[in-house]
Amino acid sequence: MGYLFDPDNWRWLFSGSNFRFLLSGFWINLQIALVTMVLSLGFGLVLALLRLSKQRVVSVAAGVWVDVWRNLPLVFIILYFGLAIPEPWRDAYQRLVPDWFPTAFQSPFFLAAVAGLTLYNSAVLAEIMRAGIVSLEKGQGEAAASLGLRYWQSMRLVVLPQGLRRMVPATVSQLITLNKDTTLVFILGIQEVMRHARIVMATSDSPFVGTGVEAPALQVFLAVGIMFVIVNLALSRLSRRLEIRERRRTGVETVRVAGLEDQLAVAEATVPPVEPR
Amino acid sequence: MSDLWEVLVRHFPEFRSGFLVTLQLVAVSFAIAIGVGLFVGALRISPVRWIRLAGGLYVEFFRNIPLLVLLSISYLGLLRAGIRIGPWVAATASLGLYTAAYVAETIRSGVFAVGKGQIEAALSLGFPYRRVLSQVVIPQAVRSVIPPLGSLVIAMIKNSAIIGVTFALADDLLKEARLVNSRTFQTNEVFFWAAVGYLLLTLSATFAVRALERRLVVRR
Repeated sequence: MGYLFDPDNWRWLFSGSNFRFLLSGFWINLQIALVTMVLSLGFGLVLALLRLSKQRVVSVAAGVWVDVWRNLPLVFIILYFGLAIPEPWRDAYQRLVPDWFPTAFQSPFFLAAVAGLTLYNSAVLAEIMRAGIVSLEKGQGEAAASLGLRYWQSMRLVVLPQGLRRMVPATVSQLITLNKDTTLVFILGIQEVMRHARIVMATSDSPFVGTGVEAPALQVFLAVGIMFVIVNLALSRLSRRLEIRERRRTGVETVRVAGLEDQLAVAEATVPPVEPR
Repeated sequence: MSDLWEVLVRHFPEFRSGFLVTLQLVAVSFAIAIGVGLFVGALRISPVRWIRLAGGLYVEFFRNIPLLVLLSISYLGLLRAGIRIGPWVAATASLGLYTAAYVAETIRSGVFAVGKGQIEAALSLGFPYRRVLSQVVIPQAVRSVIPPLGSLVIAMIKNSAIIGVTFALADDLLKEARLVNSRTFQTNEVFFWAAVGYLLLTLSATFAVRALERRLVVRR
């Protein structure tokens, strides 16, 4: 405990540009999370709709796809793409990527990182969205049909707005998981916060490249962890507040999730929440 | 196609030992997660305010921090601080403590699902708090906690893959696959079989939980 809070062990944080360097790494993680989030939400919705398709072949194929990708470890998927994407593709990506992109985005392995993160998260989000749509009473779709709405119209105007809104808490909890998971691209050598932490540890005590103040590993990683805790806590608080406001406005009950990991969200979503009597 | 079988036959010992190590990692970490999770979950439902707060602090910290950061702290961090814990301890403790936060939340929501009315009824009948917990709340909470706990086991199986490839703390399935790949360069074949290994674990856990759930429902 003394070691942990010893001010001498925290001096590195305010010496030189260490703190700013860590923050810049963390910013890269947030950017990766944002890009993946947008892609995964899009693909996830497409997968969810395919899975609910009335064409049996389509729905079974989509179901197998989703179940395979969400049941594999994410780090496995990222590592696989890192090793399997052929070199010409990596080179092509590096040639095509605009200069104004952040440095980390210009890594030849960036494509593998985003592909892995997106495949996994879109599968998980598809399952969450499907659960939300299925949890809606059948009457809603039938009522829309009897009003003369076509399949896509009823989806767009009636089913999706309600079904997806129900799953906002589960989706946010998965996005928090995604935010944490961006650290895994570290194994592909992308310059994000875990790499930056290593660099701070390695260089801070050097009088030539650093400031001569030692940066102990425990404190450096703790600082990184606290950055994640702050952002993720803010995210979950924000979603909670939005949810309450939405409920007041629309009266749509969301499915309660205690902010658990991906499949937990789905497990709870498919089981109707127990109302306290 | 023949390559696929050849890789499996030639490197079966590596795949098998990696598979078993993953299984052990998950088993040990799950034991830790359940133990610590029950304790923290108990803190979270305590009638005393500051004890609840302490439990909440634990949950929010371990739930929002990346597992990779926890592994770095417990392995590299403690090593530099002069505290030597073995790689196996660092790995299982990180995974266990991380999941314990989720277990605690699961237990808390399971207890809350029982409903305040029942607890109040039991208290008003003169049951002491301990007996309300052991005879009214826990038997019912267990049922609603089984499916989410099963999902946590699945999440643990997937998270355990981080241990081997980042710090080489254990030679688990993914680590072994990576080693075989670095010798054979048959990436697709090697990762195919590793994926089969992981899917075997996660899907069988899914089915086991579903079966267990069905049995509990029938008994109700």
